[in-house]
Amino acid sequence: MLNHTPNNAATEQAPDKLWQWLKGTWTDRILLLIAIIAIAISWQWLHQHLAGTPLVHIYHGKTLLATYPLHPEHPIHFQAQGDLGISDISIDNEGVSITHSACTTQRCTLSGHRHRIGDILACVPNRILVSIQGQQDIPLDATTE
Amino acid sequence: MSKTSNMPPRPSLASLQAHAYWLGLLVLASGLQIFEASMPSLGPWFKLGLANIITLIALASLGPKAACTLAIGRVIIGSFFMGTIFTPTFIISLSATLAAISVMLLAWYLIPRISLIGISLLAALTHMCMQFFVVEHLFIQQSALYYLLPPLLVLSCATGWLNGALAEYITTQLKARNR
Repeated sequence: MLNHTPNNAATEQAPDKLWQWLKGTWTDRILLLIAIIAIAISWQWLHQHLAGTPLVHIYHGKTLLATYPLHPEHPIHFQAQGDLGISDISIDNEGVSITHSACTTQRCTLSGHRHRIGDILACVPNRILVSIQGQQDIPLDATTE
Repeated sequence: MSKTSNMPPRPSLASLQAHAYWLGLLVLASGLQIFEASMPSLGPWFKLGLANIITLIALASLGPKAACTLAIGRVIIGSFFMGTIFTPTFIISLSATLAAISVMLLAWYLIPRISLIGISLLAALTHMCMQFFVVEHLFIQQSALYYLLPPLLVLSCATGWLNGALAEYITTQLKARNR
């Protein structure tokens, strides 16, 4: 017990303070650097593809149920039919939110308002996704299916 | 034939100690998982991954097989007590844990001079990516879901690093006391 070490594990002298452990080995730091660079590149790429007028897309699984502008003239209430029942979606000056859902966990309703391009709200048990995406040059009031 | 000859050989004291230690870690990991689920979270997709500290300690102290069974065991026991067993949450959690433990074992064997911090970092990133992959493929089926991934991966880097450092510290302290 307490003697398993990989053959190639770091065998540097052990520091005695907790904060000294935070430094990690050179391998750890290189891995962190690679991860941060990869995340930054993917984030930048997503931002380039999300620019434009913010639109709210409401999906049930693969089906697009409705698309609304993020900042409508009047508040919008949309009832999305999911696997378990209805999810109430509200779009107003504060942004978009799920106000009620048929799921048991209600995590989606606790997520609050979303108002930035790239934000999403998801109700996994009910399979409802609300996504704010940028779209260029679309004079749109609303489209629904 | 004597009565004692039919009995299976008694396990060694070291083997019994290792089993007891593993069981203690399993209970601790399950408890941490339940505790974390009851805490207010930073969002529906994000958890600190405190239970993974115990998996890392098991990996360093008992070896890969014990760590693997502990990770799977704590997901099942934790979900059982939280009432989420066989729900989407359980499926997402189990598949993400299986992916994370696979990456942990690969890193443990293949990456030279990696510590528990690096292993924890890779596990946290894999866990987050696998969660999104499973949700996208089985439940939501919209690639728009991935827009949320980069900021959560940054948080995973931070928690993975901290959890790894804590696991490294605890393992070293335990080894020092056992000497």
